[in-house]
Amino acid sequence: MNAIEQWINETFSNVGVLSSIQVTFQMAVCSTAISALLGIPLGLLLEKHQFPGKRIVVRVNRTLMGVPPVVIGLLVYMLLMRRGPLGAFRWLFTIKGMVLAQTLIITPIICGMVYSYAVRTAPAIRNFAVTMGASPMQTNRLMLREMKNEIYFAILSGFGRSISEVGAVMLVGGNIKGNTRTMTTAISLLKSQGIFTEGVALGLILLLMAFLLQCLADFFRKEEISVEND
Amino acid sequence: MKMTDIEKRVGDFCLRIPELQLESGCIHGLIGGNGCGKTTLAKLMMGILTPDSGRIDREGLNEREITMTTQRPYLMHTSVYENLVYPLKLRGKKPREADVRPWLTRCGLWEKKDQYAGSLSGGERQKLSMIRAMIFKPKLIIVDETLSNLDPDSVELFEQWIREIQAQAAVTWVMISHQLSHICRMCDQIHFLSQGELAASGPARELLKNCGDERLKAFLERESLDLNVRGRKVD
Amino acid sequence: MKKTRKILSLILGLLIIAAAAAGCGKKEELPAGPAEPAAVEMPEAPPAEPAAPVESEKPAEPEQTPAEEKGVLLMATTTSTDDTGLLDYLKPIFLADTGWDLQWDAVGTGEALKMGENGDVAVVLVHAKASEEEFIAGGYGVERFPVMYNDFIVAGPAQPIAHTDNIEAVFSRIIKEQLPFVSRGDDSGTDKKEKQIWKKLALDPAQDPEYVESGQGMGATLTMADEMKAYCLTDRGTYLKMKKDATVPLELEIVCEGDANLLNQYGVIAVNPDKYPDINNVGANDFIDWICSEKVQQLIGEFGVEEYGQALFVPNAGTDS
Repeated sequence: MNAIEQWINETFSNVGVLSSIQVTFQMAVCSTAISALLGIPLGLLLEKHQFPGKRIVVRVNRTLMGVPPVVIGLLVYMLLMRRGPLGAFRWLFTIKGMVLAQTLIITPIICGMVYSYAVRTAPAIRNFAVTMGASPMQTNRLMLREMKNEIYFAILSGFGRSISEVGAVMLVGGNIKGNTRTMTTAISLLKSQGIFTEGVALGLILLLMAFLLQCLADFFRKEEISVEND
Repeated sequence: MKMTDIEKRVGDFCLRIPELQLESGCIHGLIGGNGCGKTTLAKLMMGILTPDSGRIDREGLNEREITMTTQRPYLMHTSVYENLVYPLKLRGKKPREADVRPWLTRCGLWEKKDQYAGSLSGGERQKLSMIRAMIFKPKLIIVDETLSNLDPDSVELFEQWIREIQAQAAVTWVMISHQLSHICRMCDQIHFLSQGELAASGPARELLKNCGDERLKAFLERESLDLNVRGRKVD
Repeated sequence: MKKTRKILSLILGLLIIAAAAAGCGKKEELPAGPAEPAAVEMPEAPPAEPAAPVESEKPAEPEQTPAEEKGVLLMATTTSTDDTGLLDYLKPIFLADTGWDLQWDAVGTGEALKMGENGDVAVVLVHAKASEEEFIAGGYGVERFPVMYNDFIVAGPAQPIAHTDNIEAVFSRIIKEQLPFVSRGDDSGTDKKEKQIWKKLALDPAQDPEYVESGQGMGATLTMADEMKAYCLTDRGTYLKMKKDATVPLELEIVCEGDANLLNQYGVIAVNPDKYPDINNVGANDFIDWICSEKVQQLIGEFGVEEYGQALFVPNAGTDS
């Protein structure tokens, strides 16, 4: 570990690469976990229940899936600033604030992905559960189990979005070195200093992480791959 | 099971059943042309759909004792074996391999027990869903075209199997099929649906021999070619 | 249902056409745009871009018509020239005077010079004399011309540091009392200036746990300092503009100004055409001549007076700053 640390310190200029990797992970894990806890049940409930205005809710969800992160970043900034409504929390320029912004970005993504998959598969699963005589609780468990790969996939997508996002974390986190600087904001800073090579190197680390995530996603899907000709 | 004054709308289609009595312990056949409401009726029996009006009296039959298989059965994203024992696990039973094995062996799926269920062929899927429906010993089994993709030998195997189970455990069966020959061979009671209405209902022999309903007559005539080929005697 | 769909798509189509038409309209307006009559002699440079459109309009009064359009001149500059609005102010005048359409990328000094080194731009306008001289020594630039200077200030809460003109007093107090300080930390001209001052005063900001690096531009850094009730070194122009324009008014006050250490000299350099023959060197030279001309120097000196009550830049072309 020390050798790697030394290598990184020698290779990269003084922008705090190591801590930025750590901050990125800390933030991404927290925000993805919270978003998953919110988004998955929301997506499933949205599929399950009919209520007036549901179509609008779905449409709003779809819109939020594509909302530019800077917009969320700006809103959260205004919420958290010293003279903002939540200013008393002192969350601006902290990881907590970044997690809040990212949760707002990622939850609709996970919710929307889970919802659109559930719309296609949940009715069949529910009917099947009835024919098997499953109780409501057992039906819910079956539902989660049958959709687990898609749910993992949604979570991974959220995580991928989280580590790659730059607009909101820059605004809300403030890119403070060693504190709220993430890999993406570090790249942005390196670019602004004209140090492209290190930016690319950091980008490669990010790409490598994305690649590993994809491997993980494939691992979850592998059993289905053999059946794709079905 | 007894259904009275059932009305169910699905889109433009409307199913009306003034009265339908399913005698328990019998094999019932549900016949009729495409889109006549067979599957809708089956779903009402199963409880997947609820009628807009009318009453379904399950006569003491617990909902967990009814099951249904479909033409394109739902298989869980797991192995053949796990699919088969799922209804047992739901009922808190620890499936023992020795008990499960005969089911798989008899329909030729034992070698594939560890395969991913999604990789089975259409016929194998139907077989698996048939034994999955039978393994937990429900009181009423609705078979909605589930034998449609099977080769003649397998159809015969399952016809035999169904009779055995009916005899052993007094299971009520509802068979939905296009293949009149199959219905004729199996069923004690036949219910004929035409455009959402129950046009004729009664013991198989009487109904097929001299039916009063014109629509059934026409239906039977259209299907009679198949009947003659199979050489089933209706007596 | 079908009808509504048809109508909807029709409306959508019309909207797109309207938008496209509006876009075209704007483009056409541009050549005829500059309202200010050009009064200055046109440099006799031949059009550099062969593709430069020639508008053969009736040149009724030569001094009154805008110069022929010659094409685009790309410049890399620092954020402060853009943030203050100076370039937006100069651009139409430059177009009218010389016919060059000035386009710029406002980045940190480090990156601006990098863009010059890569031949991405024809001219750079930055403020970090040492780096600029290095840039020329490396053969990337032709010659450095001083253009103007502005000055830096230390902005921060009025308590506990009172307004002063002694930078040493302010900075050493920040270290001693461990007051919050937001540095840009992005290797920009301002950042370099700040580091220089710390070094010159033999102070080490790392000793202050409240000293943070934002890694962002001047505006963002000022907002952060305001949020955190921290001190920061900023150029006066950005500070004045933010103070005036920010939705949430800045509470930062000027804590230190006027120290000799706080002057900030801008230089303009044409990227070396020997290195990049394709580069728009003609336009670059036109720009340098133009911005150093008496008329433009005067314009720079007037910029901001009306709006902020004081000039943002002090022109000093022709000196050896």
